[in-house]
Amino acid sequence: MAAGGLPSSATLLLIIILVAAVAVAPLASAVRPVSDAHRSTAAELFAASPDGSFGDLETTYEAVRTFQILGVEKDKGLIGKACKFAAEKLASSSSSSSSPAKDLFHAVRISGVLKCSVDSGVYDDVATRLKAVIKDTNSLLELYYSVGGLLSVKEQGRNVVLPDADSTFHAIKALSQSDGRWRYDTNSAESSTFAAAVVKNDIVKLFDTIKSYDDGTFYFDEKHVDATEYKGPITTSASVVRGVTSFGDVASGKLNIPGEKVLGLAKFFLGIGLPGSAKDCFNQIEAFVPLILSLPSKVFSLTSKDQLKVEVTTVFGSAAPPLRVNLVQVLGSGSKVITTETKELQFDHDNNIHYLDIAPLKIDVGKYSLVFEISLQEPEHETVYATGGRNTETVFVTGLIKVDKAETGISDNDAGTVESVQKIDLQKDASISLSANHLQKLRLSFQLSTPLGNTFKPHQVFLKLKHESKVEHLFVVPGSARQFKIDFLGLVEKFYYLSGRYDLELSVGDAAMENSFLRALGHLELDLPEAPEKAPKPPAQAVDPFSKFGPKKEISHIFRAPEKRPPKELSFAFSGLTLIPFVGFLIGLMRLGVNLKNFPSLPAPSAFASLFHAGIGAVLLLYVLFWIKLDLFTTLKYLSFLGVFLVFVGHRALSYLSSTSSKQKTA
Amino acid sequence: MAAPRHHLAVALVLLLVLAVVVSSSSAAASAADEGGPRGRRVLVLVDDLAVRSSHSAFFASLQGRGFDLDFRLADDPKLSLHRYGQYLYDGLVLFAPSTPRFGGSVDQNAVLEFIDAGHDMILAADSSASDLIRGIATECGVDFDEDPEAMVIDHINYAASDAEGDHTLIAGDDLIQSDVILGSKKIEAPVLFRGIGHAVNPSNSLVLKVLSTSPSAYSANPKSKLSSPPSLTGSAISLVSVMQARNNARVLISGSLDLFSNRFLKSGVQKAGSKIRHEKAGNEQFVTETSKWVFHERGHLKAVNVKHNKVGDTNEPGMYRINDDLEYSVEIYEWSGTSWKPYVANDVQVQFYMMSPYVLKTLSTDKKGVFSTSFKVPDVYGVFQFKVEYQRLGYTGLSLSKQIPVRPYRHNEYERFITSAYPYYAASFSTMGAFFIFSFVYLYHK
Repeated sequence: MAAGGLPSSATLLLIIILVAAVAVAPLASAVRPVSDAHRSTAAELFAASPDGSFGDLETTYEAVRTFQILGVEKDKGLIGKACKFAAEKLASSSSSSSSPAKDLFHAVRISGVLKCSVDSGVYDDVATRLKAVIKDTNSLLELYYSVGGLLSVKEQGRNVVLPDADSTFHAIKALSQSDGRWRYDTNSAESSTFAAAVVKNDIVKLFDTIKSYDDGTFYFDEKHVDATEYKGPITTSASVVRGVTSFGDVASGKLNIPGEKVLGLAKFFLGIGLPGSAKDCFNQIEAFVPLILSLPSKVFSLTSKDQLKVEVTTVFGSAAPPLRVNLVQVLGSGSKVITTETKELQFDHDNNIHYLDIAPLKIDVGKYSLVFEISLQEPEHETVYATGGRNTETVFVTGLIKVDKAETGISDNDAGTVESVQKIDLQKDASISLSANHLQKLRLSFQLSTPLGNTFKPHQVFLKLKHESKVEHLFVVPGSARQFKIDFLGLVEKFYYLSGRYDLELSVGDAAMENSFLRALGHLELDLPEAPEKAPKPPAQAVDPFSKFGPKKEISHIFRAPEKRPPKELSFAFSGLTLIPFVGFLIGLMRLGVNLKNFPSLPAPSAFASLFHAGIGAVLLLYVLFWIKLDLFTTLKYLSFLGVFLVFVGHRALSYLSSTSSKQKTA
Repeated sequence: MAAPRHHLAVALVLLLVLAVVVSSSSAAASAADEGGPRGRRVLVLVDDLAVRSSHSAFFASLQGRGFDLDFRLADDPKLSLHRYGQYLYDGLVLFAPSTPRFGGSVDQNAVLEFIDAGHDMILAADSSASDLIRGIATECGVDFDEDPEAMVIDHINYAASDAEGDHTLIAGDDLIQSDVILGSKKIEAPVLFRGIGHAVNPSNSLVLKVLSTSPSAYSANPKSKLSSPPSLTGSAISLVSVMQARNNARVLISGSLDLFSNRFLKSGVQKAGSKIRHEKAGNEQFVTETSKWVFHERGHLKAVNVKHNKVGDTNEPGMYRINDDLEYSVEIYEWSGTSWKPYVANDVQVQFYMMSPYVLKTLSTDKKGVFSTSFKVPDVYGVFQFKVEYQRLGYTGLSLSKQIPVRPYRHNEYERFITSAYPYYAASFSTMGAFFIFSFVYLYHK
């Protein structure tokens, strides 16, 4: 069978939320009855919004239903609000909503759960409206909601008669088959007011297809994996149970379902934490009340002399009737039978616990399967309670392991002429220091014994050699070997020819060992040959990821140093010195008695001569200006004008001078 | 009669499409108004819808922070990450460890492209992890133990529990030291973990171990005897790792799906050998804080208003001269989940870069988001860049660069009156003076 089709989607949603409410409490997936932890978590998960409502009708229904199943007390105000919310919908949903049947369905269910006082007239009205929907609709979902709503109205004590039941049923069936999603588990059962007889056989058949886990937990799995509707075994099983429940509502006959299978289902739901569906199931199928055998603790310490404690309760944690619990078999690892002697557990009335001292059982540390048998003391209970025959529980027995005769050393050959044997105390970190070369061997030996004196072989016995460069080598020390040897000769390549200091670390641990330890033993100076060229390189070690973060070192630019200059005074002194020849020149001229008698006396030549010298003066002044402020381009510009002017006046002045001098010569 | 009706129907459909487009674009606009770095649409892929319930507290915390979760089965044939070239989701929660292949158009490459497009992902595996999930993890730099039966075992640092005794329930407390990834409040209680271990790829520098094991842990099949050394041992095992890609896409990879479950979130924890019993495991705080980080509610930086100018000037020049004094400033803000808050740090650095950094200087902050500094342009000309490369653990990387040319002195910008050159000047000018006087003497002396 497959998971719920279209009509079951609401149910699925409900179940999912129920899982949400309760799947949180126990840490491990052990089968335990419902406890207060479930309840408080449910209350927490369904924390109402500040205005007191849970949102839409569907969520509200899921919340109140969960609280009802788990027996969580909510304050009156909240109930009142939810009731009011539902009643409003019942009275007014003739109008807006796109799916009146859905709203009515949820509203009726809320008021049913909360036992709200709703006017009977309203129910009649609702019933009429739902019937109208049934007649008109051709959608499977609408039908589901309408029929479901009617069913709920009926539960409220109203008399609802569906005039055209047969045709409705056929309509549903036809619809379902036409889109290929006929499901026995939900829609047929939910609609079974009209066709109980048809469905009853199917349900019993349905239980034949149940699958089982190894530990006797049963679940339904889908046969057709319809890709869009695949919900997994949890929801499928939940759907089946919902279907059966609804069927039980309306069918008068008793379902003949084997108690063993009921118990298996109960375990499945408890295992995943789904008491909602489980309760529905067992309330309706009144054949058996399943009794759940559970261990409060699955770990027993031989050191603290724990007692084996067993609780037997119903699914919801209430006390079981008087019964006897026997431990019939103890199986060790690999299903090895340790003991088959039947032991009866004593009963502690105060705590409602069956207990047994484990010391007399003479079991050593390890992992065991305990097989229990429950037998009811009063025969008439056997028709009421399902005990499920044998229950198997896996437990761990732990104890302190004695570690002694630990020693290590370096030996030269197999004969074992041990050069240096050092005793180690494995109770604390040791700091031995050894040195070896590749021709030698490292030996390590120690003895582990259980509290009962047997040799103990832990799961984890690792000797780790850690090189300075963080390359690690791990050796599994076989539990059976008395002496463990590392022959370095065969390992040179594996060690990547890395000589140097290796830190030794020994870790011993096991699930049954209370004093698991990790000890530093000391270090080993290993001298290995030089690596040949083609030797494998050691693997790259992870760089510290933090190194690439963090600020970098600041960089500031180093500027070119300015050129060295002489002191100012020196420059000025030399400037003065360079002026001395000029002064000497002037003095020399004075001494010579310079005159300017040759200067032309005629106005025109004297004007040209003055202009010529003024021009030379201007050019020299331009050079001074060039030094002080002008740039080359301006200077050249002015110089070109001055030059032309100077050539012109210079030519006139000098030609006059030469003509006068040639005249004088000829004269 | 039929034809007009047909037209009417077409118009109606068009209107509807239009309405959808308008409403979706307005939704996008409202997301933009908030200004957060990431959108709020998250696809949750599960391999059994029951996960939605068994992990409801985690999902509720996401929804409570404003995320819009879309729960789909991993093999849903209608599954698609994008439509018409647009991604439909901003984040992915992959809680489907056992799924052998995704439905619809989604496959390993589609998931990786989704991350390459800058989206975030939370991936949880467990001992049933499929090759698909392992493959995605490998691409993210995380290698799960190849032995399908292996689980992380620690015989010393396990969580004491009455219900199980094989020490596979690890109480992990070796957390990364990072306020930005794990929140500023210290996680006091150990984090419960049951699942498979992984190693981070040493060549991948983007992956960080967030939750590591103690040195006594190893990864092996608890049910069978060990024959060969386990491939993963000691603190090399990572339980939860994060990866921040270069495009700031964030990925969290956990070897345990139970880590996120209501069971672990609500249960108490007592580490073996320790007297302290914590009422609540650190898981709730851990998954809330890490999911905040993954979905960019924390540690996302943005830089705006990058400015530089000459000292004493306010305009940004098109070019600097060597030896100019300049000021550089940038504003950096961090997204706090609801608003952009000024980022405060003392390690933001700017580089003045041409082929290699010429100047690298730490910026000082005014605690209101503005980071600034001033320095002298080096006496080397060329095309420089202002570079801010900010990579900090857990924060998104900032990588800013702005190009700016630097020119040498112009010819008239050099020093004009150099004292040591005065002798030369004096010599030339005295020669010029002498020449002027000599010209008179030479021409007119008699």
